[in-house]
Amino acid sequence: MTAATRAHRWRIYVLEARYQFLMVLREPAFAIPTLLFPLIFYLFFGVVLGARSFSAAAPTYMLATYSVFGVMGPSLFGFGAGLAMERDSGVLLLKRTTPMPAAAYLLAKVAMAIAFGAAVILGIFLLGAHGAGVVLYRWQWFALAGVVLAGVIPFCALGLAVGAWSRGRGAVAITNLVFLPMAMLSGLWIPITIFPAALQDVANALPAYHQAQLALKIIDMDGGQATLLHVAVLGVQSLALLAVAAFGFRRAGTGAVSMRPGGTS
Amino acid sequence: MKAGNRSGTRSLWILAVAAAGFIAALATLPVPESAAAPGQEVPESRFAVVDVTLFDGETFRRNQDVWIEDGRVRGLGPRLRLPEDLPRVDGRGHTLLPGLIDGHVHTFGGTLNDALRFGVTSVLDQFTDPTLLPGAKFARDDIARTGEADLFSAGMLATAPGGHGTQFGMAVEPLTEPASAAAWVRARKDEGSDWIKIISEDGAAYGGELQFPALDRETIGALIAAAHAEGLLAVVHVTGIERALEAVSQGADGLVHVWIDEVIAEEDARRVAEAGVFVVPTLSVIASMFGDSTGLRVLDETDEELLSPMQWGTLGDRSYLRTGTAGEVALENVRRLHEAGVRIVAGTDAPNPGTGAGISMHSELRLLARAGLASDAVLAAATSAAAEAFRIPERGRISEGHVADLVLVRGDVESDVSHTTGIVTIWKDGYAVAREPAATGSAPEIASAPDGPIVVDFEDGIDAGFGSGWQVTTDAMNGGASTAELAVEAGALVVRGETKAGFPFPWAGAIWFTGPQPMQAVDFSGRTTLRFRTRGDGRPYTVMLFGAGAAGTVPPAVPFTAGPEWAVVEIPLESFSTADPTIIAGLAFVAQAPLGSFTFELDDVEIR
Repeated sequence: MTAATRAHRWRIYVLEARYQFLMVLREPAFAIPTLLFPLIFYLFFGVVLGARSFSAAAPTYMLATYSVFGVMGPSLFGFGAGLAMERDSGVLLLKRTTPMPAAAYLLAKVAMAIAFGAAVILGIFLLGAHGAGVVLYRWQWFALAGVVLAGVIPFCALGLAVGAWSRGRGAVAITNLVFLPMAMLSGLWIPITIFPAALQDVANALPAYHQAQLALKIIDMDGGQATLLHVAVLGVQSLALLAVAAFGFRRAGTGAVSMRPGGTS
Repeated sequence: MKAGNRSGTRSLWILAVAAAGFIAALATLPVPESAAAPGQEVPESRFAVVDVTLFDGETFRRNQDVWIEDGRVRGLGPRLRLPEDLPRVDGRGHTLLPGLIDGHVHTFGGTLNDALRFGVTSVLDQFTDPTLLPGAKFARDDIARTGEADLFSAGMLATAPGGHGTQFGMAVEPLTEPASAAAWVRARKDEGSDWIKIISEDGAAYGGELQFPALDRETIGALIAAAHAEGLLAVVHVTGIERALEAVSQGADGLVHVWIDEVIAEEDARRVAEAGVFVVPTLSVIASMFGDSTGLRVLDETDEELLSPMQWGTLGDRSYLRTGTAGEVALENVRRLHEAGVRIVAGTDAPNPGTGAGISMHSELRLLARAGLASDAVLAAATSAAAEAFRIPERGRISEGHVADLVLVRGDVESDVSHTTGIVTIWKDGYAVAREPAATGSAPEIASAPDGPIVVDFEDGIDAGFGSGWQVTTDAMNGGASTAELAVEAGALVVRGETKAGFPFPWAGAIWFTGPQPMQAVDFSGRTTLRFRTRGDGRPYTVMLFGAGAAGTVPPAVPFTAGPEWAVVEIPLESFSTADPTIIAGLAFVAQAPLGSFTFELDDVEIR
């Protein structure tokens, strides 16, 4: 491959990301809820109610967990629901007919999740810092942002798996079925220590729980399990979900057939 | 293509600017004003822990500042106005506890330092050498930098001749009749006892496995009355429910074990509560006795370097191990007593086998939580309730004017008491405590033994044969007063001496150092048996095995008897309750209880 074709290929990746980004911006039904939901939740539960309800440490705790929540949204909906809808509407088929590598499409979606995630956590950080008086060491602010953003890997893998196995409008409902209970049971809204023991055990199976624990570790508010445990669980779950996704695509048939509008064949 | 080119480049620029903006925005977020990170040492007894969740002895309070000055708490509250130059310790994400109080310990060797290094800043001793008491009072009244927990103690215990408490070999003045109770209590008060501890134990709760002569009901009653007449509390050692309820009806102030033979009826629990009697359940020692692994789990979670050889030794000692469900009975009793409103005081009975000074307090907290106490009740049992039950002043609470005995732990203890092992800093009298045990010098490497049996026959004198020879060993190395001397006569080793009161486990005799230098361990793997010939005065003797680097611990021991005729004794090495009995630095052949003079001979000592 010559230098020229390498540059050409690189541009394809950048442009695909750019156009997906533009498309999303022009579709406020995705952009606005994804950006605003976590912010409003944090404002309400973390800033306004948090400090008064159960603990003065709540705004700091929730800063971490709602940030994880904020990154989970774009990852799941961008990938899960987004991919399913684009497959049903034929956009994906169209893209498959172009010489663009499939990876460009997927990486553009990951980039989208990171961009939206970064915007959401910046908003939450500013709200926490200026609305609720959250103070952290500088390294903690940066480390928290980094760890929370790294959550796009397991969450995108989860989104991909859901997208591969669901169709069109159903995908949004199914994604919500995954998204909301997982956020709740992983302690993203309120600490799981409030739940009965059996529910607390369920958290151990959820990627969002382990992602949140890693974030909480940075501010010394985690449950005390080993960092390596969380990283290992997230790694294994990500790989498993990618395998589930691959199996899902293969089962639906390969290439253009599965991506026909309406999905019938 | 050109359009795509341009917008591609532009996209990259936008991306770069957005990323730079994101990082710049993160850099503007607020950071704390120069508070030291937790764990970073503040040298003087003048500092504040800021923005911490604290347990004040009763309840958890969030976002508190605590100001320490001259070894005492000067102030506490949310957003205190603190002097500009006051060093600050950042308490966010941490919980600050009052120094823990262990309500049942026995003090000797390094236990006070062991306790302090695990956040136990005061111990309530239920039987120790009374000569320790005057020094202890001086030390605890002196608010200054120290390496030891404050000692409050019953001193000597009250028991029947030959009763529980006499088997340790320490001088005990037994009682036989109610008439001597008043003089006995007065003598304890003069020695410096802070309260009176009475043994009400015949061993029945252990199912007949142990049997002790016990004080009669009248004498116990007279002792309790005499203690009260002297203004002292009277606490009672019980392990059976019948004697427990009797002590309650006789006016005891507290019971320093929970009973293990029977679950208490709810109405009886209410009676205990109404009588205002507190209970120190000592679940740590009971649980470990009946096979519970909580203590070992805490040991697993603990950094090895923080443990003294004695803590290792006693926690891993399984010589009290029994079978049965008494551990569950004890937990259920605590649950019922707590529900009935009886004041529970946390106590470990360390350093008895299966427990370790200081460290076992953290398993005690977990066991109390398992018995159904909420986090605040568990911690109160280990702080304010202990102080109030035993009338210990200025301790057990984080409160203005109280002694600044504090423990800062990582995480939220309210949600899970097992977080107490995550100790970041311990302050005693306002000074940060060094957590590593004092270095005992690096242990020499373990040498290896030649294959085959190793025999010492004394034909060529005392120092010939394997290892670095035979020497006198007595409890003097741990502060005791026993004596011994060695001689080789007619090709055998003769050991003469006397065991005397002083150290809780007195011994005197001969030790064979098996290594190239004394106390250097040798690996005897492949060998299974210790065999030797012996004769003597007919009294019981003990072989103690010293492993690698365990100075200061009570070593595992196996008994033997030296009768008038020469006889061969064979002891399987695995009967020494230690992790690896083939690692041997020394074998001590000693007399222990009963106290007094002794003579025995040894020959053909063999490890095979």
